[in-house]
Amino acid sequence: MTWKHALGERVPDDLGREIDTYENQMALKRQGKLDDKVFAETRLRRGAYGQRYDNGQRNDGTGVKPLPFPSDGRTKGPDTVWDAPGMHRIKIPFGGLTTAQMDTLAELAEEYSDGVVHITTRQDVQLHYVHIDDTPDLMRRLAAVGITTREACGNTVRNVTACPIAGVCRDETFDVTPYAQASARFLLGHPDAQDFGRKFKVAFSGCKQHACGLVNMHDFGAIGVTREADGATQRGFEVYVGGGLGAVPHEAKLFEPFMAEDEILPTLQAMSRVFARLGEKKNRARARIKFLVAQLGIDEFRRLVREERTRLPRDDRWTDYLDDLPAYGETPLKTGEPLGDVTGSGAFQAWSRTNVYHQRQPGYVVATVSLPLGDLSSDQLRRLATVARRFVGDTVRATVEQNIVLRWVRESDLPALHRELDAIGLARPGAESIADITSCPGTDTCKLGIASSRGLAAELERRLAGQIETMDESVRSLRIKVSGCFNSCGQHHISDLGFYGVSRHVGGHVVPHFQVVLGGKWVENGGAYGLAVGAVPSKNIPEVVQRITDRYVEERNDAESFYAFTTRVGKRALRAMFEDLMSVPAHDVDADYYRDWGDPREFGIGDMGIGECAGEVVSLTEFDLAGAESQIFEGQLQLEAGDFERADALAYGAMLQAARGLIKTENIDISDDAEQIVAQFRTRFFDTELFFDRFAGGKFAQYLFRRHARQTPASGADTARQLIEEAQLFVEATHACQARLAAQPPVIPPPPDGPSAAGSQS
Amino acid sequence: MNLATMTPPPVDDLQRVALKVFLTNDSELDPRDAIPVFHRWIQTHAVNGLLIDVADYAHLPSGPSVLLVAHEGQYALDRTHGRLGLQYTQTRPLDGSLSERLEVLWRTLVSAARLLETDPALPGLVRFAGNEIDCIAQDRLCAPNTPETLATLRPTLESLLSRVSAETDWSFTRDTEPGAPFRVTAKSSSSAFLDTTAAQPATPNDD
Repeated sequence: MTWKHALGERVPDDLGREIDTYENQMALKRQGKLDDKVFAETRLRRGAYGQRYDNGQRNDGTGVKPLPFPSDGRTKGPDTVWDAPGMHRIKIPFGGLTTAQMDTLAELAEEYSDGVVHITTRQDVQLHYVHIDDTPDLMRRLAAVGITTREACGNTVRNVTACPIAGVCRDETFDVTPYAQASARFLLGHPDAQDFGRKFKVAFSGCKQHACGLVNMHDFGAIGVTREADGATQRGFEVYVGGGLGAVPHEAKLFEPFMAEDEILPTLQAMSRVFARLGEKKNRARARIKFLVAQLGIDEFRRLVREERTRLPRDDRWTDYLDDLPAYGETPLKTGEPLGDVTGSGAFQAWSRTNVYHQRQPGYVVATVSLPLGDLSSDQLRRLATVARRFVGDTVRATVEQNIVLRWVRESDLPALHRELDAIGLARPGAESIADITSCPGTDTCKLGIASSRGLAAELERRLAGQIETMDESVRSLRIKVSGCFNSCGQHHISDLGFYGVSRHVGGHVVPHFQVVLGGKWVENGGAYGLAVGAVPSKNIPEVVQRITDRYVEERNDAESFYAFTTRVGKRALRAMFEDLMSVPAHDVDADYYRDWGDPREFGIGDMGIGECAGEVVSLTEFDLAGAESQIFEGQLQLEAGDFERADALAYGAMLQAARGLIKTENIDISDDAEQIVAQFRTRFFDTELFFDRFAGGKFAQYLFRRHARQTPASGADTARQLIEEAQLFVEATHACQARLAAQPPVIPPPPDGPSAAGSQS
Repeated sequence: MNLATMTPPPVDDLQRVALKVFLTNDSELDPRDAIPVFHRWIQTHAVNGLLIDVADYAHLPSGPSVLLVAHEGQYALDRTHGRLGLQYTQTRPLDGSLSERLEVLWRTLVSAARLLETDPALPGLVRFAGNEIDCIAQDRLCAPNTPETLATLRPTLESLLSRVSAETDWSFTRDTEPGAPFRVTAKSSSSAFLDTTAAQPATPNDD
C-alpha cells in the first residue's frame, strides 16, 4: 500500500491528477528526458524549492568542499543536485489553519523533514531538509486535508495573505477573509496567471492604520472600505498596485480609491493578463510588476488594465462567492464570557499583557502563540492542535510576524489556555514586541543568504526577552526585522529597526555585517520604507540596538513615535550613534568578528548558490510540452500494463496538449476542446507551414490529424505503440517549431494619446 | 489519519526509523555546546554519512535541539518530551532486513554518542544511559502507532538488544499519545551506562 492508495478519494481529483503529473515529470527527469529549467520551474510551482548547499558544495570553515551526493550526475534544476535536501513551501491562504491540517503538518515534518515546522513572513509553512523523492506523497497528504502547494513558489500568484484578526478586529471596516479566500481560489491555476516573468503577491487588509495585510508592499493590495450610495452602504476596496520590497523596494501606487467588491476578481484577472503580456521576462531582476508600473506610469498601467477588463469574457466565479457573504463567518466553539476578577500568576499576567487581543465580540479574545524565529517542533504543533480543539476549534491562523493566533478564545478560559500552552512550551510572552523578532531563514537554509539572520535574531531575542517587563513602553512595542540579504524576505524595510546581511573584506578575510535600516514604518500597512544607514559587523548589532533605543527613550518628544524620531533626528545623527561600531578589529585581535552568530566556522560566502526565488522563466508552451511528454510517458506505462485504449488516449492527449501549447503563443484563450485545438492548429501552423520540418514537411502534423479523424481508440498493442511513437515525434516537432518562434519581443499597445510606451521598454 | 481499516505495508519495510539514547540525569550538556563539535565532525568526517550541515533549534523547548544533518540520516540532540538525548534518524533507505538495518542504526548512534562523551570540548558534560532506548518509527503508513505494530516489532527489537547490549531484562512501553508517531521505550532495571553496556561499536564509515 502506498499513500496514494491509502488516501484514495480523500485527495480531490484535480489535485490528485496534478500530483500524478508531477510524479511522472520526476520520472522523466530521472531518465534525463526533461530539461533542467523546465523541471525546476515545474517543481517550484509545486512548492519544492532549493536549499543551501544543493549545488553540492559547502564551506566547512576551512574552505569550500564538495558534497558528493550519490546522484550520479542527476539534477533537479540548473546547478541543483537531485539528492540534495530541499525546502518545501506550503501555501496557507490568509494563514487559516484547521486542527486537522495542523496534525498533518506535524506528521509531515516528522516523516519527511527535520521535525520542525517554520512559519514564514507571508503566512506560509516551510519544511526543510526534504528529499525530492518524498514530495509527491507529501503533497498527497496535504491535499487530503485541503492544502495544495501548487504555486507556492515560481513565477506565479503566491500565497494570498490577509490580516490574521480579520473578522474579529475592533476597528476594521469589514472582514476581508472571504475576499482573500475567493481570490486565492480563483487565481490558483488560472490560465491567465501562468505566464509571468516573476511572482505576483496579493494581500488584503481590513483597515488602513494597522500593519494588517502590509498592502503597501504587495503587487496587488486591497484595503476594505465602504461608501454610501443610493441610501445603502456599499463594500469595496482601496486598491494599490506595484508595491514590493526586494533589492529595489517600491511603495505601492493607488490604483483605485474605491473598487466595488464584484470587480476585485475580474480586475485581478485583467491585471494578470497585462502583467503576463507586458512584464519583463528575460531580466528577472526587473520582472516584478512594480517595474512595469514604474515603466508605464500608474495612469497608463491603469488604462491598460481597464481596457483588458472590458475584453474579458464573463466568468461566474467573479461574483458567485458574494452570494455567500451574508452567511460567512466563524462559529465560536464556546459562548463568550468575560475573565472577571481573575488575576492569575505573574507569568499569566505578563503573557496577557502582550499576547492577548480583545475581539470586538464581547467575551472573546485572540491569543497569540509567539514562536521563536517562527519555529515550533512537530510535537508542539500536534499538541497545539489538541489545545485548539479544546478551546477554539478550527479558528487558527498563521501571521506575517511568524506567529500563530487562536481566535475566538472565551476570555474566561485564558488562565486555563495559558496553563496548557505553557505545558507545551508555547506560552512565551512578548508577542508583537521588540523581542518578537521576524527573520528570514538566511544562511541557515537559503541559497542566497549572506549573513545569519536567524543567528542574529536569536541573539537579540535572548537579550531582549529578559528586559521586556522592565523596558520603556515606547521601546517594547517597536519591531525588529532581519533579512539574510538584500532581498528582504525578513521585511527589514518596514520595521522600526531593520537589518540585512552583507559582507565586507577586511585584511584578507570576509566579515559578516548587517546594514542598519532605519526610517521604516510597520503600521499603516507598512507605510514607509527605511533606508540603509550603515553596515556594522554582525557581532556589534546588539550594541547598535541598545544605543538607538536608549537614545530614543532619552530624546523623544512626548509621545513621539520611533518613525517620527528617526525622521526628526536624521540619518547623519542616527549613523553617528553607532559609527564607532562599524570598524572591525584585526583577525588576530578578535577572531570572533570573523564568525557569524551561532556558527563557529570562519565566515565565507564562497558556497552560496543561485537563488530560485525568481523561479525559471518558462513559457506556457513549455509547460504544455512538459505535460505532453508526461502523458506520453504515462502512455508507455499503460502500454506495458496492456491497457491499449488508455495508452492510445494518452498519446492522443499528448499531441493535443502540445498543439494547444503552440497555439497559446498566438491565442491565450484556446480552450481544451479537441475540435478547436485541431482546427486552430491547422489554420495557424499547418496551413501557414510554420510547423513544417525542413526535411519532413508537414508529416508530423498529419499524425495528429489522422488520430483526430479516427473516432475509435486503438484496441491492439501495435496500433497503440505506433501512436505513442508518433506522439513523441509530434512533440519533438513542436519543440522545434517553438524554438523557431521564440525571441519575439512583446508589443505594448500605444496609449490613446501620446508616444508609444514600447520605446521606453528596457 | 485513520489507516486502521487498511492493510499497511509490512513493518519490515520500515525505513524511516530512529533510535535514541538518553543523557544521564547528571549530564550538564547545553545542546548549543555541541554546535562547534558537530561542525568539526563535518570537517573531519568523524561519523557515518555524507555530513551536510548543522541546524540550530536550541530555541525550541521540545523536539530537535541541535541537528547534524547527513544525506542518509539526522543526528539530533533531541528534547522530545523534555528529555535530552542523542537520536539518529535514518532518512534514506538502507539495504538488508529490518533487523540488520536497526543494527546499523544502533552502531551509527552509539559511535556518535561515544564520540560526544569523549570529546575534549565537552569535558565531563556528556554521559549516556545504557538502560533506556527509544525506537521511533517516522512512517505512519508502515508502522502506525498501534499495539499491533509493537507486537510485530517487539521480537526484532528484543533480538537487536540481545545482540548489542549486555542488559537482559528489557521492558517495552509504547507512547500512546494520540497522533504521535510510533515510539516505544525499551528500559532495563539496571543503572548501566552506554559506555559499559553497549557492545563495541564499529568504527565510522565501515559499513
